Amino acid sequence: MKLIMIYDQIQSGLGTKDDTMVPLTGKKEPIGPAIMMEPFLKQVDGHVMACLCCGNGTYLADPEEVSRKLCAMMNKLQPDVVMCGPAFNYADYAQMCAKVACDINATTGAKAFAAMSVENADTIAAYKDKVAIVETPKKGGLGLNDALKNMCALARALADDADTSELIHEFCFK
Amino acid sequence: MLSKLESMLMPLAEKIGKNKYLIAIRDGFLLSMPLLIVGSFFLLIANFPIPGWTDFWARFFGEHWDSYFSKPTDATFSIMAVLAVIGIGYSFSEQMKVDKLFGAAVSLVCWFLIMPYEILVNDTAVSGIPLGWVGSRGIFVGILVAFLSVHIYAWVNKKGWIIKMPDGVPPTVAKSFSALIPAGISVLVFFILNIVFAMTPYENAFNFIFTILQTPLLKLGNTLPAMVIAYIFLHIFWFFGVNGGSVVGAVFNPILQTLSAENLAAFQAGQPLPNIISQQFQDLFATFGGCGSTLSLLIAMLFFCRSKRIKELGKLAFIPGLFGINEPIVFGLPILLNPMMLIPFMLVPTINIVISYFCMSIGLVPLCSGVAIPWTMPVILSGFLATGWQGAVLQMLLLVLGVFIYMPFIKMMDKQYLEEESRTVEKSDDDDIDLNDLSFDDL
Repeated sequence: MKLIMIYDQIQSGLGTKDDTMVPLTGKKEPIGPAIMMEPFLKQVDGHVMACLCCGNGTYLADPEEVSRKLCAMMNKLQPDVVMCGPAFNYADYAQMCAKVACDINATTGAKAFAAMSVENADTIAAYKDKVAIVETPKKGGLGLNDALKNMCALARALADDADTSELIHEFCFK
Repeated sequence: MLSKLESMLMPLAEKIGKNKYLIAIRDGFLLSMPLLIVGSFFLLIANFPIPGWTDFWARFFGEHWDSYFSKPTDATFSIMAVLAVIGIGYSFSEQMKVDKLFGAAVSLVCWFLIMPYEILVNDTAVSGIPLGWVGSRGIFVGILVAFLSVHIYAWVNKKGWIIKMPDGVPPTVAKSFSALIPAGISVLVFFILNIVFAMTPYENAFNFIFTILQTPLLKLGNTLPAMVIAYIFLHIFWFFGVNGGSVVGAVFNPILQTLSAENLAAFQAGQPLPNIISQQFQDLFATFGGCGSTLSLLIAMLFFCRSKRIKELGKLAFIPGLFGINEPIVFGLPILLNPMMLIPFMLVPTINIVISYFCMSIGLVPLCSGVAIPWTMPVILSGFLATGWQGAVLQMLLLVLGVFIYMPFIKMMDKQYLEEESRTVEKSDDDDIDLNDLSFDDL
């Protein structure tokens, strides 16, 4: 199963919370949470083929254009599943995750979901019916390992075209 | 049975696969593996077990022809600890995320720092690097030193106690300056350790480790239980990178040789042979194919394993292995500090000893006559020459039994390596994506 992760500048390690204008870019090797996820990825035979990222400011300046470019990239790289997040409690990043996941599902052959913490109430309310949003703890909160494991399990089910309703019910915001 | 063993050992294998110390040892020894294989071929040529071989070559190259052939062996086997220390220092530095080349160099210097620079010539001490400690006997100390010195190096680095050069200074120069203080502190620690050991009756760290490991062996005798215990020790020593043959042999070989001599005297006088256990019993029935009777392991590797790494090593090590030279797999698989292989590595020779002992004691197989048969003589042939067809059959059965004992364990390693290999293939598939593919410019 080939995976792509989508990050902001903080998760990708390319900038601090002030470096918001990091342009859209990508890395071939797993970075950020993908590294923590490795043991769980192994269990589901998953492999992160690329990590794509952009600064929060870059996204907010033109959400449509960023999302369009990310979708175009999915068409180019042809992953099985795209994980947008985990966005933790970062509001702008969470918004990007939800929108991009929605657009990927609508316009590309890949399957996408978002992941964030309960603090992003507005985004969750706006998108939970359109796309699966896996619940994660906030940054530094308890239960991150479980959340990462859940993300991998959901990715596997999506890649297999299995019935995901039970997993979504268990792992995602309702 | 197999799946139960697997369920017990796989989690262990997983843990081992992630342990940075064991990874460093495993990868570190890979540095010496190709050189040991080359050395073992020369060793084989110098000791080829056919009558007339030595005379044949002596006619062309003079009486000391084998000294030419022992040179490549000396340049690999006799200094293998140097390679091990560099290799382990290098790969452990990678694990500790510090400069690998400096890590390797610091390990080597610290190891030499605690080594005595004295050799005895006719009971007079002269200066020199003792070959005894840079060969397999020095590996255990080498491993400890590589870990400790790189730990200190990494710790000082992490503290930020390094000299930073301004921008514009060439990176290599900046790197060597930044290594100065971490290397200096590592050397300082070993300088102090050297003085501490010099004040003890052991005189140096090498003597200390060797004596501590040797002591439990001093009380062993020449009975079956003694031999079994001695050979379990011998294989544990090998497991820790110490040449078990030379440690246990120092105590045990004089006993074995005496027993052989008694047998030979009785054989020549036409009397019944008095001893089951003897030098030949050890060489030909206990550890044929090298310590751990690894010829069985080699066969299991060649016939039952699918990973490229194990199969290729098996092919390369087979010819030396046939003649009892097994360093390539001991260091290349490796068996050293590989908990997965410890059990069969100890078990196979133990079972060989017990079965051979009983076969001989109830008269199924004649006792070894004491006639010296080179340890490099291939199995089955050597059994035949020592005790007749019964010995050849016994060796064959032991060889096959060994294959089945090694099999589940080597298959477990094989599974791990296969997974690693398939991951690499998957990775290289993804290398189709180059960084240009990740450019958003043209989207």
